[in-house]
Amino acid sequence: MFPTPIQKRSRATQVTYQTLLPLALILWLLPLLAVMLFSIRPLSDFTNGNYWGIPSSFDLFANYGRVFFESDMPRYLLNSVFITVPTVIGAVALSCMTGFALGIYRFRGNLLIFFMFIAGNFVPFQILMVPVRDLTVSTGLYDTKTGLVLFHIAFQTGFCTLFMRNFIRALPYELIEAARVEGVAEWRIFWYVVLPLMRPAIAALSVLIFTFIWNDYFWAIVLTQGPEAQPVTAGITSFNSQFVAQYHLMSAGSIVAAIPPVAMFFAMQRHFIAGLTLGAVK
Amino acid sequence: MSPLLQGVITIVVGVFGCVGYFYAANLILDKVIFPPRGPQAGRNINRATAVRPWLFLFPAIFALSLYLVYPVIGSLWRSMHNRAGDEFIGLDNYGFLFGDPEFLQALLNNALWALVVPAAATFLGLLVAQLTDRLSWGNIAKSLIFMPMAISFVGASLIWKFVYAGDPDIGIINAMRDVIGLDPMDPVQVPFWNNFFLMAILVWIQTGFAMVILSAALRGIPEETVEAAIIDGANPFQLFFKIKVPQIMGTIVVVWTTITILVLKVFDIVYTMTGGNFGTQILPSYMMSFMFRDDGRATAVAVVIMIVVLPVMIWNIRQAQKEMR
Repeated sequence: MFPTPIQKRSRATQVTYQTLLPLALILWLLPLLAVMLFSIRPLSDFTNGNYWGIPSSFDLFANYGRVFFESDMPRYLLNSVFITVPTVIGAVALSCMTGFALGIYRFRGNLLIFFMFIAGNFVPFQILMVPVRDLTVSTGLYDTKTGLVLFHIAFQTGFCTLFMRNFIRALPYELIEAARVEGVAEWRIFWYVVLPLMRPAIAALSVLIFTFIWNDYFWAIVLTQGPEAQPVTAGITSFNSQFVAQYHLMSAGSIVAAIPPVAMFFAMQRHFIAGLTLGAVK
Repeated sequence: MSPLLQGVITIVVGVFGCVGYFYAANLILDKVIFPPRGPQAGRNINRATAVRPWLFLFPAIFALSLYLVYPVIGSLWRSMHNRAGDEFIGLDNYGFLFGDPEFLQALLNNALWALVVPAAATFLGLLVAQLTDRLSWGNIAKSLIFMPMAISFVGASLIWKFVYAGDPDIGIINAMRDVIGLDPMDPVQVPFWNNFFLMAILVWIQTGFAMVILSAALRGIPEETVEAAIIDGANPFQLFFKIKVPQIMGTIVVVWTTITILVLKVFDIVYTMTGGNFGTQILPSYMMSFMFRDDGRATAVAVVIMIVVLPVMIWNIRQAQKEMR
């Protein structure tokens, strides 16, 4: 939004601008590009000292094949799916209901409960660690995916409710009043009037929570151990100790672990950004 | 196939459980407890209206108190007990912490993180948002800059391990030093400055976030104010700092505090990069060093983190409260 569009500026400014910007961009993504390059090199390149040149052969399938067939990686990935998907569904379903209650009804304690949700959103998770771990151990949920899912749902509800409540508040209240005047039962109002209008919010929130949960590492190492239940964020560290100094496999593993959220991001970019904007500005 | 089936069943049960709960609870309330007929129809309708919000809220409040309220109190209680948790020792754990040089170091480093990362990420985000605004391929550039945000902190740390690797053949930093003719070194072991090298990773991740929010805010600035300033002869810098920045100040503050709160909680980066060695300890990673070994001290650190976060949290709630009126 410069006063003069860059296209109308002097030639020199234009050229500097147009070369510096891509250069900065490449520098920004250099770490990623380097890892991608490493991940398709054969092992011999590393022993021969050919780190940065052109790979002597493109071992894309060989390297990634080993990640998928000779390690616990597929298992970790599957665990991540089974942890993330139920959490997203649970947290979104719960927060639709709480958001509806806090956004539509005026009752005593409304604000108080709303602030409780905000506070829950900001509580550092470290303070929950020991009691939650003891709780999962005593209920027999330690080192299970169920335990992790239950906890994630509870912990994400704060943020999700905040998000949904603000969204519902912005909906035209007349719609709900009109439905009430028509004598529509409250649960029907929720199901047939409000829920369809919430679709964009649900999409945005789902994408956001998906990446949050997929990328969680703290609870993964606190509440689980071993390939039985650990998601890929925790799995990648044990993967790396399995393939110490085999840089091509370590990079391939890192890429594999990062692909699902990144793919999700590119596929649902609009919703993702809408989610962040909605979640932050209020 | 059994875990897949199990997952599908969990999802189906969960969704139908929610819908079922919600339908049945409303039905019971309307038909059985306070039916809107008979001599007290009016009163019953009022009562049902008073109870209904709590029906919607109940599952979430239950989950929240089980997993949030109880643990906070539990942690406070636990932090005043010994390692095994069977003996009350008052504030001894806190006494130990403040006598431990590593804790003080972590506190200091944490303060550095909380100052530098939000400032750097917000500044870079604002810069990128301004530079890519109105650029034909600006959206592609934004997507690429935003991409690290989708990668987990652990994933990002592992990627940055390649940047900082001590081996000049692997590490990008050392490869560059090699080109200029300098000896290889290990960036994460340079005292004091290694903190900033680790912060760079979080800035790398969070700049995308700041950029997205701020560029939406920049778009929202009324065109007339910009035009008026140009007609009055403002140069690009004046335009940016005197016209645009003041108008998006509110958003800048929100971005800043959001990142600050995040910074105070992040431990993945330090934990995977250095494990808190070489003087890079921060409070959350310091706490992890007591995990599974001494719950009393671990929870004491957690309480300290909570106290540090508290002012930002209260300030945020105040802001939300203001917006409501």
